[in-house]
Amino acid sequence: MKQKCLEVLEHVYLFLDGEGLSESQRIEIEAHLEDCGPCFEQFGFYQASLHITARLRGTSLCPDDLKAKVARLLEQA
Amino acid sequence: MAEVQPADLSTEERARFQAEALPLLDSLYGGALRMTRNPQDAEDLVQETMLRAYRSFDRFEAGTNLKAWLFRIMTNAYINTYRKKQREPRKVSSDELEDFDLYQELKTHDPQWEMTPENMVLNSLVDSDIIEAIDDLPEQFRLAVVLSDIEGFSYAEMAEIMDVPLGTVMSRLHRGRKALQKRLWEIARDRGIVRGERKE
Repeated sequence: MKQKCLEVLEHVYLFLDGEGLSESQRIEIEAHLEDCGPCFEQFGFYQASLHITARLRGTSLCPDDLKAKVARLLEQA
Repeated sequence: MAEVQPADLSTEERARFQAEALPLLDSLYGGALRMTRNPQDAEDLVQETMLRAYRSFDRFEAGTNLKAWLFRIMTNAYINTYRKKQREPRKVSSDELEDFDLYQELKTHDPQWEMTPENMVLNSLVDSDIIEAIDDLPEQFRLAVVLSDIEGFSYAEMAEIMDVPLGTVMSRLHRGRKALQKRLWEIARDRGIVRGERKE
């Protein structure tokens, strides 16, 4: 695996999270992903794995009776 | 529960708490469920959190992130009260994690996968598989993954919530995601979605 590929993949989560990278670093990574098929594929996989975890967002709703209990608690507090 | 001094909230502050914090109960409950892995404890944790938050609402800086503030209170309450009660999750050794990359694993060891659309393995997993995998993570990894990837907090917000340095957040999140991928692979293997050697 090429050095550039290693560097890019090391930063792939920072890139996906939108954290810790300068604008020029982001541009460099984007450019590499456009040029490098294998890196683009691996990037896509990591992106998909974040999406499946994010699928759980909003799935465990607070039960209605718990909401009622909380409302009552606050009234008495 | 440790004593919290009742705060002298104005009528306006009380109303504001009701209006702004109650809609966050779904998020809080979801987070509590992943922390405690037990609906009864999750309910207790949510109630304790809301009570503490309400009583200290005068110390909340209006305009800042209320959800992060509530999660900070909840994480603290979890650590102090519920952590001791938890069953031990599966141990994941550091060695296992260092060598494991789900993408590479699928590409090199599962020939069938070459022919499937790249994310079909992930798409074959259902929500309960993902919940199972997350619940099996060691607590610090689980918390990091839940806060970032389910609740959408930034690294800086996570540092506040978990009360650790930014570097620790990044390390736990990176390793937590790796551990999650490994667990997902094991679940996929056990369900026959992928082939793979069972390492005893």
